[in-house]
Amino acid sequence: MSKILIVEDEQHQRELYAMELQDEGYEVDQAANGREAVEKVKNSKFDLVILDIRMPEMDGIEALGKILSRDKKIPIIIYTAYSNYKSNFMTWTADAYITKSSNLNELKSKIKEILSARSK
Amino acid sequence: MKLTVSKSRLIIVPDVLIAGFLLYLVFEGGSVSHVGVTKALAVIAGYIILRSIAVVWSHKRIFQRIETIVNIIADYKKGKFASARDETIGKDDFSLIIKELALMGKHFEDLVFSQKSEIENLRELYHNIVLSISSYFLVLNYRSEVIFANESFCRKFQFELEDIVGRNIQEIFFFLTDTIKESIGRVSQQEESIVLEKTHLVSINKISVIADIKISTMAVKGESQIIFVIDDVTSKCRKDFQISLISQVSESIQRDDEIERVLHTILTGVTSGSGLGFNRAMLFLLDDRGNTLEGKMAVGPDNIDEAIEIWGTVPNCGVDIYTQLKSYDDRAAKGKGLLERVQQARFPVGGNNILVQPLANHENIHVYDAYGDDRVDDSLREFMDVREYVIVPLIAVNRAIGVIVADNKFNQVPIGNDNIELLSIFAFQAAISIESYKNLHLIKKEMEKIKERQDAMIEQEKLAAVGRIALHIAHEIRNPLVTMGGYARRILQLSKDNPKNGESVSKAAAVVLKESERLEKTLSNVMDFTKSASFIMEYNNINDIVEDTCELMKNLLQEKHIHLRMKLDENTPLVKSDFNQLKQVMLNLIQNAIDATPAHGEIELETKTNANHVLIDVRDTGSGIDSENISRVFEPFFTTKITGVGLGLSIVKKIITDHNGEISVKRRPEGGTEFRISLKIPG
Repeated sequence: MSKILIVEDEQHQRELYAMELQDEGYEVDQAANGREAVEKVKNSKFDLVILDIRMPEMDGIEALGKILSRDKKIPIIIYTAYSNYKSNFMTWTADAYITKSSNLNELKSKIKEILSARSK
Repeated sequence: MKLTVSKSRLIIVPDVLIAGFLLYLVFEGGSVSHVGVTKALAVIAGYIILRSIAVVWSHKRIFQRIETIVNIIADYKKGKFASARDETIGKDDFSLIIKELALMGKHFEDLVFSQKSEIENLRELYHNIVLSISSYFLVLNYRSEVIFANESFCRKFQFELEDIVGRNIQEIFFFLTDTIKESIGRVSQQEESIVLEKTHLVSINKISVIADIKISTMAVKGESQIIFVIDDVTSKCRKDFQISLISQVSESIQRDDEIERVLHTILTGVTSGSGLGFNRAMLFLLDDRGNTLEGKMAVGPDNIDEAIEIWGTVPNCGVDIYTQLKSYDDRAAKGKGLLERVQQARFPVGGNNILVQPLANHENIHVYDAYGDDRVDDSLREFMDVREYVIVPLIAVNRAIGVIVADNKFNQVPIGNDNIELLSIFAFQAAISIESYKNLHLIKKEMEKIKERQDAMIEQEKLAAVGRIALHIAHEIRNPLVTMGGYARRILQLSKDNPKNGESVSKAAAVVLKESERLEKTLSNVMDFTKSASFIMEYNNINDIVEDTCELMKNLLQEKHIHLRMKLDENTPLVKSDFNQLKQVMLNLIQNAIDATPAHGEIELETKTNANHVLIDVRDTGSGIDSENISRVFEPFFTTKITGVGLGLSIVKKIITDHNGEISVKRRPEGGTEFRISLKIPG
C-alpha cells in the first residue's frame, strides 16, 4: 500500500483529499504546512508527496527544496490554486504541477500514473 | 394856469367901470356944470385907465413866469430834466427861482443820465450772460409755449429763435419723458424748482443730449412762466459711462456670466444714450471655422413704438450699467423681435456681402445710403431696413472675430464721424473682452477635461488596487470553491455507494455550507469595491472596517511573510462614515505598508480613542520616507515605487478629507513610517 503525504493548509481540503485517497486504497498522512511536511518526510518514508504552494510558516516552494535535498527520488505533485507558479523553475523539479479543481480525477490519475511508473 | 391869468384880469373890471362912469360925467356934463369938476373927473378917469393898463401888463408878465415854472415842474414830473429854456433874463425873484430850477434840473439830468448808462450797462451784461450762457435756457408760458430761448439753446438744437417762439415745448422735442412732463406740471402748480439729472432730450430735428435740467417758475406781470435751464452733460456722462462700461464688461466676464450677457453689455454700451447713443446695435461673430458670420446679439427696439417706450422708461444715461444689466431679461424681452431676427441671420464670409468686408480689411464701413449703394445686396437691405448705418470690425490681436453694426433707424440722426470713432474704440475693447471671455471659456473647458481625466485616473487607480488583490481573491475564492465542489462530489459518491452513510453525508454537507458562506463573504468583500462611488454615511465600527480589510489582505501578507499585529481598542465609538470608502483607505494604506516592508517584516494596526477622535494608526517597518518627500506623499502622482501611478495616498487623503477627518504621516524613530487617521466622534 503506497503511503502519500498531503501538505495543505486548508483543513477541509486536506481532509477531503485524505478521505478520497483513502477510499482509493492509499495510506495517507497530513501536514498543514511546509515545515510540518519536512518534519514528516524526515521521520518516515512516503511514496508520494502532494504539496500545496501557498502556506503559512513555510511555503511549498521552500518545502519542495528541503524535501528534495533529503530524498531526490521522492515523487512530488504540486497541487495549487495558482497556475502562475508554473513559471517558477523550482516547480520544474516536481514530478507534476496540477491546478486545483473540485474534480479530483486529474490528481488521482496522476498519482496512479506516477506510482505505477515507480513500481516498475 | 390860463384860467388864473384870465381871472387876474378881472381885477381891472371895477376900475374900468369907475373910469367909464367918470368919463360919462365929463362928456354928458348935464348934471355936473362946473368945468373944474369936469376936468378933475377926466384926470381921475385917465389915471384909472392908465393904472388898469399898467396892472394888466405887469400881471401878464408875472403870470408868464409862473407858467414857465409850472411847465418846468411838469417836465420834471415827466422825467425831462434837460429843458433848454432861456428864461434867465431879468433879476427879479421869478428869474432867480427859474434859474435855480434849471440848475436843479441839470443836476437831475446828470444823475439820471449816469444811472441810465449804468442800467444800460447792466442790462447789456445780463443780456449777454443769458444769451451766451453755456447752459441752454428756455422760458415757457403757462401753456408750455416757448417765450424765449437763449442763443446756446438755439445753436445746440439748431433752431432760429423766431421759429420756436410761440410753439409748444412738445412740438420742439422729439419726445419728452413722462418725468419731464410731470415735473413741468408740478413746478407750475407748486412753484418749486425741480432738478432732473441726466435726462435724455431729443429735439424735433434729432439732436440728442443728456442733460441736467432745472425747471423753475417765475411770475412776470401776474403770469407764471416756466424756466428751463438745461446743462448739457452728454460728453461727461458719455466719458463716465464709457469708462464704467469697459470696466463693467470685463467685470461681467470675471463674474463668469454667460457670453450672451457679455455681448449684451457691449451692445448696451453702444445703444445707451450716454454711451454711444445709437438706436440699434447688432453683433455678429465668426463661427469657429471662420466660414460664417453669425448673428449673436442685438440691442434696440424693433419698431418706433418700442423705441419710444424704451427711451421713455429706461434711464438711458444711468452710469450704473449693472442696474441695466439686471434688467437684462426685461429689456431683452422688449427688443425680442430684433434679437430673434439677428440670431437667425447668417452671412457667408466668402460672399460679396458688405457686412463681411471689415473682416478682411479691418476698416470701418459707413453706409450712407443703403438703397443707392452697390455694395449692399438686397438681402442685407431687407435685413437692415435703414438707409444709413455703420459696420465696425471687432479685432482682437490682429484677427477680426466679428462685426458690430449700429444705426439710428428710429430718430434718423445722421451718424457722425466722432461717433464712429468712439464706436471703433469701443469695438476694440469689446473684441478683447469677447476674446478673453472665449479664452477663459476654453481654459475652463480644458480644465474640466483635465479634471475628468484625473477623476478617471483616480477611478482607474482604485480599480488597479482592486486588481492587485484580485489575484489573492482568486485564491480565496478558488480554495473554498474546490473544497465545496470536492465535498459535494463526495456526498454524491457516498450516497451512491452506500445510502446508509448518513453521518458522513451530513458532515460533508455542513462543510459545503460553511465554505459557501465563506465564499459569499469573500465575494461581497470584493464587491464592495466595485460599488458606486457615492457616499453612504452610516455609523460604523472602525474595527470592523480594519478587520474586514485585513481579511482581504491576508494572502498578500502571507506571501511576503509579513506579520500583522493588530491592537484594536474594543471600546471604539461608532463613527459616521462610508464603510466602503474607509475600507478603500485601509486597503491603500495596508497595501502601501506591505510594499514598503521587506519580507519577514511587521505591520502594526492600532485603533484608539482620545477626547474627540477615533485614531487609526498604520505602522510599517519599511525603509521609511525621506524627510524631503514626507510632505509630498499625499500629492497625486507622487510615488517612489516602480509600480502604480502614485494615486493611492492621494485617494486616501481625499476620502479622509471628505469625512472631515485628518491624516498625518511621520517617520518612526525605530524606522518605517506611521500614518495616523483621526476621525471626529459625532456629537
